Amino acid sequence: MTITNDSEFKSAIAKLPRAGQRQVGARFAESVLALCKDARVKHAIATAMRADTTEDELAAALDSAKKASVDSFTLCGKECDWNSQAGHFVAEAALACLKSGTTPAWDAAMHARMARTSESIATGQGTENAESAAQYRILTAFLKA
Amino acid sequence: MNHLDLLTFARGSAMNWALIIFVAGIVLRLFEIFGLSRKQDLARPRTDSPGSGWRTMFTRSIPPQGMLKREPVTYIGGYVFHLGLFLAIFFFAPHIEFFRSITGLSWRALPSALVDASVVAAIVALFVLLAHRLNNPVKRMLSGFGDYLAWTVTLLPLLTGYMAYHHLMLEYTLMLSLHIFSVELLLVLLPFTKLFHTFSVFVSRWYNGDFYGRKGVAS
Amino acid sequence: MSATLAKGINAFKEVIDTPIASYFSSCVHCGLCAEACLFHNETGDPKYTPIHKLEPLRRVWKQEYTLLGKLGKMLGLSKPVTDEELTEWEPLVYDSCTMCGRCSMVCPVGNDITYMIRKMREGMSASGHAPEDMKGATKRAIEIGSPMGIKWPAVQAQIKHVQAETNIEVPVDKMGADYLVLMSSMEIINFPEYLSAISRIFKQAGVSWTLAPDAFEATNSGIQIGSSDLAREIVSRIVVAAERLKVKCVISPECGHAFTAIRWEGPNLMGKPFGFEVKHILEVLDELHAAGKLKTKGKDKRPLTYHDPCQITRRGGVVEQPRRLLGSVAEDFREMPDAGVMNWCCGGGGGVSANSRAEPLRLEVFKVKKRQIEATGVHTMITACANCRIVMEEGLEHYHMKVEVLGLTELLAEYLVEGE
Repeated sequence: MTITNDSEFKSAIAKLPRAGQRQVGARFAESVLALCKDARVKHAIATAMRADTTEDELAAALDSAKKASVDSFTLCGKECDWNSQAGHFVAEAALACLKSGTTPAWDAAMHARMARTSESIATGQGTENAESAAQYRILTAFLKA
Repeated sequence: MNHLDLLTFARGSAMNWALIIFVAGIVLRLFEIFGLSRKQDLARPRTDSPGSGWRTMFTRSIPPQGMLKREPVTYIGGYVFHLGLFLAIFFFAPHIEFFRSITGLSWRALPSALVDASVVAAIVALFVLLAHRLNNPVKRMLSGFGDYLAWTVTLLPLLTGYMAYHHLMLEYTLMLSLHIFSVELLLVLLPFTKLFHTFSVFVSRWYNGDFYGRKGVAS
Repeated sequence: MSATLAKGINAFKEVIDTPIASYFSSCVHCGLCAEACLFHNETGDPKYTPIHKLEPLRRVWKQEYTLLGKLGKMLGLSKPVTDEELTEWEPLVYDSCTMCGRCSMVCPVGNDITYMIRKMREGMSASGHAPEDMKGATKRAIEIGSPMGIKWPAVQAQIKHVQAETNIEVPVDKMGADYLVLMSSMEIINFPEYLSAISRIFKQAGVSWTLAPDAFEATNSGIQIGSSDLAREIVSRIVVAAERLKVKCVISPECGHAFTAIRWEGPNLMGKPFGFEVKHILEVLDELHAAGKLKTKGKDKRPLTYHDPCQITRRGGVVEQPRRLLGSVAEDFREMPDAGVMNWCCGGGGGVSANSRAEPLRLEVFKVKKRQIEATGVHTMITACANCRIVMEEGLEHYHMKVEVLGLTELLAEYLVEGE
């Protein structure tokens, strides 16, 4: 099956078990990892991607993703730097796939797209991006594997 | 001048002057406040809350949740002092006689023993509050000469009144004169010290109640 | 516009009105306001006593507007307000006051101390004694249109993102819509969930609404720093857009001070009553809910609590609405101690979170929120202010507490009945 739009994307994700959602969500986050300089995020994503992680490892990864996310929030009234905001959304994406939400992979995908959007605002190069298409490919490949 | 002459002076021209300064002072201070004016609030109030300002004039006497426990000395001391002073001023038979002589109005007095007790309670409360003022870091920082002056001139009428009533220390006529002088001192200073809150408290509480009333927050 | 001491003193003189004169006249130095203050309560330092923060303003009142004070000034008996003194007072007026209004609820003589702090900031900023970070935020709000430097293209990018996510068109510049929706920079930058939730809820409820490219920002740095001229400039953008689009109502977002700025200060800054209504998003959602237009399904099983943002609850009167809304989607809703109009501030309101210098103090005073949350035993906290939300996220992280913070609008959208 090849995914080509958001509704197929969403329903394919919904069919995945919890662990599968985590792993594919982490792949969405990894796809925008270049936008984030925080080593904690990189490590959290790497942990979430693996199929053989323990509960303790996941809990530790969740903790560090959370820390990275809070550290990178832009406070009210501070000047926004969209490059670091992109990094914040990568951390949010990592956090989303580790959290106990109802749709972790979808949430991670949305945050990853916001990371890409933030990047395009920072560079001033329009707001079009191909992140959703990239996510369709990632999911298609993940389902085939 | 013998003691009787002194008493006549205290009751006569001294009292007249004190009352004139007191009334003129109050009028001046109210004029200073209301002369500043206030812009009309153009934001539509959440609900029509008529009387929120008037209600707050009274409801602010009740401590908000949790506050009594946090500052029991201030609240309880404050209640005891204000109530004791109020009873002594307005419900002691000779005082009612004084008010009748200048306004023509009179009302029933409380038994002297009860007034006596409330005076003692008010004096004790004043000392407790003073000790608290000196010990509490916030109150100590806020307090200056004006605060201790206000405390002293409030204490004096209570103390001299108590001593005159019980014929303590000085000869009665002399003590009574001192009591009246102390009241005159209080009257003269009241408009110009923080004792003026006796009057302005109703104004400030009204504005606060009006503000919160317009926002729809019961006050 | 250069700031000088003379301008500051002049501004002090201008802001003193009958209520302020009555407040200063009534203060008996009882110190109870200190007990109500977050900053005094958590540090124990008497300098954080709310009425003390107003000392320079009080002296100007006394020297200028009382006979005795004027005499004292003529005879050289009273100390004039100096630049050095205002420098010393700057952290008291800005860093350690969130204008949360708790002291105003407690003062036994009824002094609205918060109102006075708001007014005092006019003189502080006119004399150049406002924190640098807040000056920057205000400058960006005037020059760029947002205190955080957000421009419309960033909002467009978010709209695009939300449209892709929800498959719902976000209306822009729609003439004659019922509601003009405002956002805070915080929601644009950090919480795309808000716009997405609004889109879904409003679609379901059949609400006609719009965004406006010339008035998307609801926050008002002019009010936080204390400059009515700049605050008026910022509010006027919203008024112009609301009148241009002929909307019936402007919706203030999940932000505390934005609500105070446009709902309560707005008409006074503009010098005329608005021709449209202003409501907080929670009021609108509550009305939709009462009218049966906001249907939800299922309940959140997590035990959760609600943090009342000061400007929305205590200073804004939106008290019951969030509780009714939460009642419809929460199975185990628990109130914090002192919840409602006596709730404790998150510590970051009134411009404090924008002020880097205040950060250590802000984290220190978060202890009270920590105790409040611990008393409920929950791990999920709902609020209705994006600033409270981030300030609390930081505080929670600082104290290693595992508590998730969510916006109420976003929570409701999770349980929305869609596609009927």
